[in-house]
Amino acid sequence: MKLKEFARNNRYTTMLIGLLVLVLAFFSATKGKLFWQGSLWQGMMFQFPEYGCMTLGLMFAFISGHMDMSFVMLGNFSSIIAVKYMIANVEEGMANSQIGGIILTAIGIALAIAVVGGIINSLLVSRLNIPPVMATIAMQLVWQGFSTALTKGYALPGLPSLYTEIGHKALFGFLPVPLLIFIVLFLVAAFLLKYTVFGEKLYMLGTNKKAAQFSAINVHGMLMTSYILSAVFSCVGTLIMVSTMGSAKADYGISYTMRCILILVLAGVLPDGGMGKIRDVLLAILTIQCIATGVNLFPSMNTYYGSLIWGGLLIIVLIASTKMTDNGPKKLKAPKKTTQKVA
Amino acid sequence: MSEEYLLQMSGIHKSFSGVHALDDVNFAVRPGKVMCLAGENGCGKSTLVKIISGVYTRDAGTVTFEGKEITKITPAEATRLGIQVIYQDLSIFPNLTVRENLAINSEITAGVKLVNRKRWDATAKEALSKIGCQIDLDAKMGELSIADKQLVAICRALLFNAKLIIMDEPTTALTKKEVDALFTTVRQLRDSGIAIMFISHKTEEIFEISDDVCIMRNGKNVYSGKTADLTKKDFIYYLTGRELEDDHFIPTNISEEPVLQVKNMEMKGKLHDVSFELRKGEILGITGLLGSGRTELALALFGLAKPSGGEIILNGKSVKIPSPIAAQKLRIGYVPEDRLTEGLCLQQPIADNIALASLKRLSSGLGLLKKSSIAKEAAIWVDKFSIATDDPRKFASTLSGGNQQKIVLSKWLSNDLDVLILNGPTVGVDVGAKQDIHALVHELANEGLAVMIISDDLAEVVVNCSRVIVMKEGSIVGEMTGDAITEDNILEIIR
Amino acid sequence: MNKAAIKRMTRRTEFYIFLVLLLLIAVVGVISDGALIRPNSSFTILRAMVVDGMFALCSLVVMISGGFDLSFPAVSALSYSLATTICLNNGWCQTSPLAAFALAVVFGWCLGMFNGWIISNFKLNTMIVTLGTQTFFTGLSMGLLQLKEITSTLPQGLKDFGSSTLLKVTDTLVGGRQVTVPLTSMIIFLIILVIITSFVLNRTMFGRALYAIGGNEVSAERAGYNVKRTKFLLYSVVGAVAGFTGMLRVCMASQSIPKALVNKEMTIIPAVILGGASIFGGEGSVFGTMCAVGIITVVSNSMLLMGIDTYWQDFFNGLVILIGVTVSALQAMRRKN
Repeated sequence: MKLKEFARNNRYTTMLIGLLVLVLAFFSATKGKLFWQGSLWQGMMFQFPEYGCMTLGLMFAFISGHMDMSFVMLGNFSSIIAVKYMIANVEEGMANSQIGGIILTAIGIALAIAVVGGIINSLLVSRLNIPPVMATIAMQLVWQGFSTALTKGYALPGLPSLYTEIGHKALFGFLPVPLLIFIVLFLVAAFLLKYTVFGEKLYMLGTNKKAAQFSAINVHGMLMTSYILSAVFSCVGTLIMVSTMGSAKADYGISYTMRCILILVLAGVLPDGGMGKIRDVLLAILTIQCIATGVNLFPSMNTYYGSLIWGGLLIIVLIASTKMTDNGPKKLKAPKKTTQKVA
Repeated sequence: MSEEYLLQMSGIHKSFSGVHALDDVNFAVRPGKVMCLAGENGCGKSTLVKIISGVYTRDAGTVTFEGKEITKITPAEATRLGIQVIYQDLSIFPNLTVRENLAINSEITAGVKLVNRKRWDATAKEALSKIGCQIDLDAKMGELSIADKQLVAICRALLFNAKLIIMDEPTTALTKKEVDALFTTVRQLRDSGIAIMFISHKTEEIFEISDDVCIMRNGKNVYSGKTADLTKKDFIYYLTGRELEDDHFIPTNISEEPVLQVKNMEMKGKLHDVSFELRKGEILGITGLLGSGRTELALALFGLAKPSGGEIILNGKSVKIPSPIAAQKLRIGYVPEDRLTEGLCLQQPIADNIALASLKRLSSGLGLLKKSSIAKEAAIWVDKFSIATDDPRKFASTLSGGNQQKIVLSKWLSNDLDVLILNGPTVGVDVGAKQDIHALVHELANEGLAVMIISDDLAEVVVNCSRVIVMKEGSIVGEMTGDAITEDNILEIIR
Repeated sequence: MNKAAIKRMTRRTEFYIFLVLLLLIAVVGVISDGALIRPNSSFTILRAMVVDGMFALCSLVVMISGGFDLSFPAVSALSYSLATTICLNNGWCQTSPLAAFALAVVFGWCLGMFNGWIISNFKLNTMIVTLGTQTFFTGLSMGLLQLKEITSTLPQGLKDFGSSTLLKVTDTLVGGRQVTVPLTSMIIFLIILVIITSFVLNRTMFGRALYAIGGNEVSAERAGYNVKRTKFLLYSVVGAVAGFTGMLRVCMASQSIPKALVNKEMTIIPAVILGGASIFGGEGSVFGTMCAVGIITVVSNSMLLMGIDTYWQDFFNGLVILIGVTVSALQAMRRKN
C-alpha cells in the first residue's frame, strides 16, 4: 500500500525509475555482458557530468519560472578566456605547483565571468522586462559571437596537461574527477533546494512571482541568484568539457542547450516554474546517458539514434504529463494523523 | 405585455459529478426590462448563464423562449435565438482594431473565407450606430478604457439582433462615472425592447437599474419578482441568508499615540495631499470608488508604489518604504486585493503559503529551513482560523475562496505586526468565512493591532470600522466615526 | 493621412525597424563608398535573404498565433534530405526539379501535421513540444534513416535550377575590374511567399484567426473559430513551406547536407522578434519581418565591405538582436504606463 501511495504522490519519480529499468533491461537483453562491462560504465561516468552540471544549473532558472538559453555559450566564453589565460601564462618547465596556481586563477576568472553573465541575464529580465526566452537567446548569440571573434572560429589547443588530466583522471582508480565534481554540485543543489530558505522561496517565486513580491520576498535578488547559479554551474560543466576535449572552441556543446531543457522537462521541471524535484533530474540524466551509451553498442546505430529516442520520449512524456500533474502532498513530512480523502 | 415572458426557465437542475450546482431554479425575463441575477460567489449564477448560452446542458427543467419550448441549447442555437452573453472578460481581442473586434464575430458566423474591408467597415459602423457611440475604429482594442471596451462588446452583441443580452458583472472594474454611462446605455437598450439580464452582487446597483430581480443562494433561487417589492433589508437577507449585521465593532483598546501617521502624501495623478493617523486597536476603514486612490494609498504604505511627496511616520519616526521587504521590517503587513494573482501560490502546499512571509523566523540561522516549525506554524493557523483542510500539505488550490483568503491572512498574521492593511478582505468570500475573518480582525484589533480595511463593500466597512475615511479622486473628502458611520452617510460623500 | 494615423504608425515597431534598415543601408553605403548598393554586393544580400526570409515567414505566422516553433529547421532538413536521397536513388530530377520539390513539400506537410496534431490536441507549451519534435526529427533523419550528405552527385536538374538567374548585370568594381553578377531567380519564390503570406494574414479569415488566437484564444473560441483545426492547419502548412524552402536551399547551395540547418532557429526566431512579432502572440507583420531579415543580412554581409573581421559577424548579429529586443521591451513598458 505504501508503495502505491508513493507512486501516486511521485508520478515523475515512478515513471523515471520505470523508464530507467526498461532501458537497462533492454540493453542487457540485447547486448548482455557487453553492456555491463566496467569500462563502458566508467565511460558514462566521464561523460554525463559535463551536461549534468549544466542541467543542475538550468534547473534553478526553471524552478524560478525563467528560461535560460544562454548558459552553454556563456560557459564557452568564460572557459575560452580561462584557456587563453592558461596558455598565456603557463611556460615550459614550470613546476606543477606553479601551473596549479595558474589553473586555479584561470578557473576563478571563468567563474567570475559566469557570475557577470548571470547578472546581465537577470538585469535584462527583471529590470528591462525583456521576456526571458528573448533576452537569453540574444545573450547566447552575443556570447557565441564574442567567442568566435576571439578564437577566429578555431579550437584553442595547448592546454597544460595538468588541466586536461581533470577530464581523464579517476581518483583511486574508480572515481572519475568529473563525476566527483558533479556529485559535489548535485549535493550543493539538492541542499539549496530542499533545506534552505532560498530553495523554499525559489519554488514559491516560480509558482507565482507576484504573490512572492507581495509576500516581501526579494524577487530581483532571487532571480539574480538563480541566473548566477545557472551560469556558474554551467561554467563548471564547460570547464570539464574543455578539459576532456583538450581544447576550447566557440561552439563546443552547442547541442547541450536543448539536451538540458529536454532532461528537465523529462524530469517534470517545467520552465513554467515552481515544479519538479532534483532526484527526478538525476534519474533523467542517468536515463539519457544510458540511452546514449547503449545505442553506441549497436554498430548499425550512430549517436543520432539517441536524439530519436530522446525526442520521442519527450513527446510521450509531455502528452502523458497532461494527465499526470503532481498534485499531492510534498516536501513536508506527513502529520501523524492518517489522511482521509474528503468527499 | 408585462405578463408575457421572453425567457422562462423552470425547474432547472444541474449537477457536476454528484454535486448540485443548480437545484430547481425558476425564473423569467420580460422583454424590454432589466432583470438582475444576484447572488454571492459560487451560488450558481455563472452555471445558470452557461446553461442559457448553451455552454452547459441542463440535467432537468424546461426553457421557453418567446413562447416556444427549447429542448436543446447549443451556443450557435442561442445566438440564433438572439441570446448574447457579454462575459466579464468581454471576449475581446486586445491586439486587433476596434473595427475588427466589432465585425469579426459576425464574419465568422457568416462563414466567409476572405476579408472584405468595405463590409467590415460597414458592419463596424452599423454596430456603433446602434447605441450612437463614438469610438475610433482604427484604435487598438487593448488601448481603450474598460468602459469603451464594454461599449464595443455591447455593440458587437447588438449586431446579432439580440433580444436578450446577459451581462456578467459588468461594473466590477468601472469607475462611478463609467457605471452611470453604462446604465444610460442599458436603459437605452431596454427602451428599444431588448431584455437585459444583469448579473451583480452590488445592492446599490441592483436597486438602481433593475425592474425584476432573481436572487440565488447555494444553487437555489430564493427570490424572484419585482425589485420594487423588495426592501434592501430583505434583499440582504435573501442574498446572504442572514439578517443585516447591525452590531458595529467597538474598539476597546485604542492607544493614545498614533502608530502610523501619513502627512500630505502625494502621488502623481493618483493621490493628492492625503493625511491621516492610525492608532493601535482601531479599525480604520478607507473607502472610495474604483480609481479614488484607495489601492494606491495601500500600495504606497507597503512599498509597492512610490509616493512623490509627503511623509510617513511610524511609531514617531519618519520612515521611507521603498519595498515590501522594508514594509515587513517596519511591521506592516498587506493582504492584497486580488487573492489569486497577488496573494497565493496556488500550486503549492497550504503550509508553505502560510509560512511564506515569515520564513526568517521559521528557519535557523544561515538560512536553513526548519520544516517542523513550518508544519507547526501551519497547524496553528489551520486550527485558529478553522481552515477547511485535512492536510496542510495539500495545494492551496484545493480550497474554496474563503479558506484561501484565510491563508493569505495567516501569512501576515504569523508575523509580528504593528499595522495590518486589508484590501478587499472578503471579496468573493462566502458568508461563513466572512464572519470568521471579521471576528478575527476584531479580536486582533482589541489585542492592540492597528488595522486598515480598504473596501468598497459599504456594509463591511460599516460593520467593522471604528473610523472611516472616504476618498475621491485621490483626496480624502470625508471622515466619520462611531455612530455616524452609516451606508447613507458614506454614499452621500462618495459620489 | 490624419494625425491619429501618423501617431499610430509611429507607435508600431515596424516603422522603426524600417527606419533602422534605411539608416543601416545609408551608413554602410557611405562607409563602403557605395559598394553596398552596387549589384555585386546587393545581389549577394538578396540571395542570402531568400532562405532566411522564407524561414522567417514560417516562424512569423506561428508566433502570431501565440506559438513558438523550434522545429522548422529540423522539418526542413529531414524533408529535403529524404527528398534528394529518393531522387538520387531513382535517378529522378535529371532535368526538372519538380519531383524533388513535390516530395519535400509532402514530407514537410506530414511532419508539420505531426506537430499540429500534438499542439492542437494537448494544451502544452509549444516551445517544449517543438523542441521534442525537433530532436525527434533530427534523430529520424540522421539516425534511423542515416541520410547522407549529397554534394557532387546532386541530380543535375536541381543544380541547374538552383543556379538559374533572373538577370545578369555587369558591374565595375573599385579596381576597375569588370564582373558579371547574376541575380538568382530563387528570389521569385521569396517574393511569392511574401505576397501569399501578407494576403493570407490580412485578407483571409484564416489569417485573422491567427491574430485572434494569438490575441485571446478563449475569445477566439467563443467567437466561433475552430481553434483546434486552425492550429492543425497552421502547423501543417508551415511544415510544407519549410520543406519547400529547404529544397530551395539545396538547389541554391548545390548540395544536400542533413546537418546544415542545425540551430538555424536560433538566428531566425530572434530576427522575427526584432521585426515586431511578440512572443506572446497576436503581433507581427510580414513587412516588419522582412525588414528585420534585411537588417540581419546586411549586417552579416557588410562586415567585409566595412573592413571588419568577419569573425565579428556573429557578435554584431547578437548585438543587433539584443538591442532590438531591449527597445521593444522598453516600448512595451512605456505603452503600459
